[in-house]
Amino acid sequence: MPSPFFTPGTRSQADQVALLHLRRDQTIPTVLQIHDDKNLGYDEGKVTNTRFGSFPHSTLLGQPWGSQIAASKVDTGSRGRRPPTQTQTSTPTETQTQTQLKRKAEDSPTVTDDARPTPKAAVAAASGYLHLLYPTPESWTASLPHRTQVVYTPDYSYILHRLRARPGCTILEAGAGSGSFTHAAARAVFNGYPSSEESLDEDQQQQQPSKKRRLGKVCSFEFHAQRVERVRDELVQHGLQGVVHATHRDVYGDGFLLDGASPHANAIFLDLPAPWLALKHLTRRPVEGGNPVSPLDPSTPVYICTFSPCLEQAQKTISTLRQLGWVAIEMVEVQHRRLEIRRERYGLDARGVRGAVVFPKSVDEAIGKLRASDRGGRFRNHKDDSIDTETPPAVNTTTITANTTTTTTTTITTQNTPVYNLGRVVHRTEADLKTHTSYLVFAVLPREWSEADEAKCRAKWPSSCVVDSKPFPAKSKKQLKREEKAKRDEERRKNE
Amino acid sequence: MHSYIRPNDYVGVRLPSEGTRIIRPVPNTTVSLGKYGSFPANQIIGRPYHLTFEITETPDEDGNILRVVSAAELHAESLISDGSGEADGEGEELEMYGDGDAPMRTNREIVDDSSTQKMTLEEIEALKKEAGGAGREIIAKLLESHTALDQKTAFSLAKYTLRKRKKYMRRFTPIPLDVGFLTNYMLGEKDAAKIMELRDEAIGLIGCWGNVHHGGNTPIEDAMGSRPNSRYFVVDETGGLIVAAMAERMGILFSEDGDDEATSTVPEPSQHPANEDGQTEADQTEPGAEDSVPSRSPHQQPMSASGNTITLLHAHTRPNLSLLKYFGFDYDNPDESHPLFKHLKTVSWLQLVDPSTDPIYSNEPEEPSQETLSTMKASKRNAFYRKRNRWARTRNVVDEARAGGFDGLIVASLMEPATIMKYAVPLLTGSASVVAFSPTVEPLSELVDLYSTHRKTAFITQKRQIREQDEEDQVQGLAELEAEFIVDPSLLVAASVQTSRVRSWQVLPGRTHPLMSSRGGPEGYIFHAIRVLPAQDHIQAAGNQSRKRRKVSQKETTAPATTATDSGDANTDIQMRL
Repeated sequence: MPSPFFTPGTRSQADQVALLHLRRDQTIPTVLQIHDDKNLGYDEGKVTNTRFGSFPHSTLLGQPWGSQIAASKVDTGSRGRRPPTQTQTSTPTETQTQTQLKRKAEDSPTVTDDARPTPKAAVAAASGYLHLLYPTPESWTASLPHRTQVVYTPDYSYILHRLRARPGCTILEAGAGSGSFTHAAARAVFNGYPSSEESLDEDQQQQQPSKKRRLGKVCSFEFHAQRVERVRDELVQHGLQGVVHATHRDVYGDGFLLDGASPHANAIFLDLPAPWLALKHLTRRPVEGGNPVSPLDPSTPVYICTFSPCLEQAQKTISTLRQLGWVAIEMVEVQHRRLEIRRERYGLDARGVRGAVVFPKSVDEAIGKLRASDRGGRFRNHKDDSIDTETPPAVNTTTITANTTTTTTTTITTQNTPVYNLGRVVHRTEADLKTHTSYLVFAVLPREWSEADEAKCRAKWPSSCVVDSKPFPAKSKKQLKREEKAKRDEERRKNE
Repeated sequence: MHSYIRPNDYVGVRLPSEGTRIIRPVPNTTVSLGKYGSFPANQIIGRPYHLTFEITETPDEDGNILRVVSAAELHAESLISDGSGEADGEGEELEMYGDGDAPMRTNREIVDDSSTQKMTLEEIEALKKEAGGAGREIIAKLLESHTALDQKTAFSLAKYTLRKRKKYMRRFTPIPLDVGFLTNYMLGEKDAAKIMELRDEAIGLIGCWGNVHHGGNTPIEDAMGSRPNSRYFVVDETGGLIVAAMAERMGILFSEDGDDEATSTVPEPSQHPANEDGQTEADQTEPGAEDSVPSRSPHQQPMSASGNTITLLHAHTRPNLSLLKYFGFDYDNPDESHPLFKHLKTVSWLQLVDPSTDPIYSNEPEEPSQETLSTMKASKRNAFYRKRNRWARTRNVVDEARAGGFDGLIVASLMEPATIMKYAVPLLTGSASVVAFSPTVEPLSELVDLYSTHRKTAFITQKRQIREQDEEDQVQGLAELEAEFIVDPSLLVAASVQTSRVRSWQVLPGRTHPLMSSRGGPEGYIFHAIRVLPAQDHIQAAGNQSRKRRKVSQKETTAPATTATDSGDANTDIQMRL
């Protein structure tokens, strides 16, 4: 089955994972099914209930991705009081106990589709909708069930870029965790689904000189048995089983070989508490206590990234990397911010507008308000007197009228401006700020280069063979052109 | 990939100064690295990447002057010079923090001027000319003639030595020239503005949020029913860096990526003028076979792939893809064997928006009769076919682009983003991602505002009202609506903007801290949203405004950090009202 993560097709299909997008940051992953395997007793078959209404899967299936789907009227209340089996199948004579027994029997997955009743047609509700989206590693990361600390998009996007994870690569991942990195890595290396025979003898194929492309894969290791099972289930559900190989293993002791053979890794990601303990397996030549065969691809440089929240872990990892001959060692941290962008509105006319702050938006407005509230006030007479003595009253009145007109015009403009254009667009960092995720340690292990290799290379490319007369262009292009022109001119002169 | 240095390919080089260069090892020539020396290109061709070479003074028996510096040596030097070797680490730390009996060495006595170095500039210059040992001699001499060396703490001595080492060591490390290297090279050594100051972290985010990936090997029978996979729209004004980054993710950047057999064999949809393209090919080989089945062209057609493609929208008559030359692809003179030859398509904005006025698209080269064609001079006939092919190719690519169905839109442009969205977003499939990069936040915050909840509500209400009017009014009303709303706000959901910056650290025992300085400049922001297909019928949003508002205010008082936010409408807990 093609994975909806890579090749979603045009429409949603049964038994595929889909995302129900309610609003930003509120997305529910679900497997689309007509019938409800959990048998929750809805007449409409499988139903997903959200805060914006209920959605029977019959309304979600076969829809173009991205469609806006209206909520349906689903009886969510009375099903608890009813016998929990489908009422259509049970005959009225059946007793309560019988139905309970039957329910147990039906829970087993042996029930075929034919035996089930056709779900009731959904009736559109008065309000509520969602958008049906195909899953991506990003949306999955935002909505996945947390098992461990999640590697979020800002980190994994940078890591995969630095690991040079490209289609056709093999990535080793230790510490599968919640699977967010696994999905993103699978997308990065994906360049096709393996056919059945390809997955069987992949190693043979790699050694074959045939032009057949090498298919990208992710080898994921996790030492937590239950998590491995969950990851495997998830992979099958997501159609990734051909791209990701999940193995239950403690990589500190047992390394990275698959059935004793090398996975030929091009890139490694270690999300482990003690990455330095796993490094002894990741060498070009077996070291003491490490894997008997190198799990690395002998023909390419190998990139590594370790992901550790504490500085001490990173320091220890780097020290071990140095001892094992890794180069270009670098440690970084990623600082990511999401921005909240909205219109901010101030003004005395904003009373009753949601989100707006009632406060003069300008000095003019403040003065206008002061004058208005002052009119007929206590200090009026006194103020007028003082003005009389200092400035001609005519000027004073004109300023007042001018001010009142400006206030009225602004009210008119705000009345005419639609609400979406009021105020000023501002941005700020979102309230939830991840100030530290982990320290990322990057390093590269170059290919092994023996004296025999060097001798071969020297035979092919003789060291001292330099044919060009100029060792390097000491003259610029312009200079060369000028010289050429001078030469030509000279020749012409000679000919003449 | 990148298993060894190939002749004539561009190669990145890292120098001791941490600076980078791009060289091109042409066989039998000399490569110069400026003050770090020069060497014959043959001595690095065929060797693996990431090895550090030292340029020695005396050639060995083969005439080789490059010596591979082992990783152990590299680190040993760094560890010793940094005073942090595993053996001496302890002692140094004692000294550093003054825990031992020995008096703690400080910089109290150090005179802050250059009088401590007894060597003059002239002497150093002279030494540079004659000294051997790949710079090691100079450094030794410099250390020798430094009068206040004994006053330095171990760490400051290490720093001094390291600084001199960076300046004088004649070493270099060839690095594969990929998007990551090129980005840092452009940022650090070249004109950063040319690539809109894109950093690695932004490129990673753009690719991930854009969901840019390889289209897979869907068998033909499966592909017939569904559409081709992984077709991306790209607007790139970074000289081709974004195109390169996306191509790298799709496995079509490097010539050694090889061709994607699976996607190229997917037949073109027959209604497309692709057949004409094929036919002209058939004509060329076998004149007179007008109606014959188009035979497979002897050579590959440019821009002919159906899946796993990049369609570049460009503002000038020709796209600027100059940076692609580093990956062996020259747009003006493309190499047929390069995957981009078939997978990169270019469409100008004029061709996309109003193709009938585009000179290439609309002027079909007139086909001369068979007789005239056969009597034509060969050069003229070839010129005709070239023109005809170009027209057919443009026609094909533009029609395909205008038909839409793209899986993503990636924008890094100087143009007003809203104008790009206006034309490109309707051509995306549902659920496709839209990503726009901008060095500064303002263009993107304005863009987010154009997709705000208030705008969506107003747009949908107004549109519904227009729909209810007579036909004549409808035309006028829709025109007014388009004038008021430059983009249809109901086509994108979850518009957001983010930014990311990576901070590098120095990690040495006792001296671990973030680097003291790094590159400033624009932060670089990334807009992301998802294309959706709004329902034709009116759907009322769910949620009770007044009730929910109360709930939110409670939430704010108890746990302000968990307040859900939606763009444009910060603290509401209701669904957008439609």
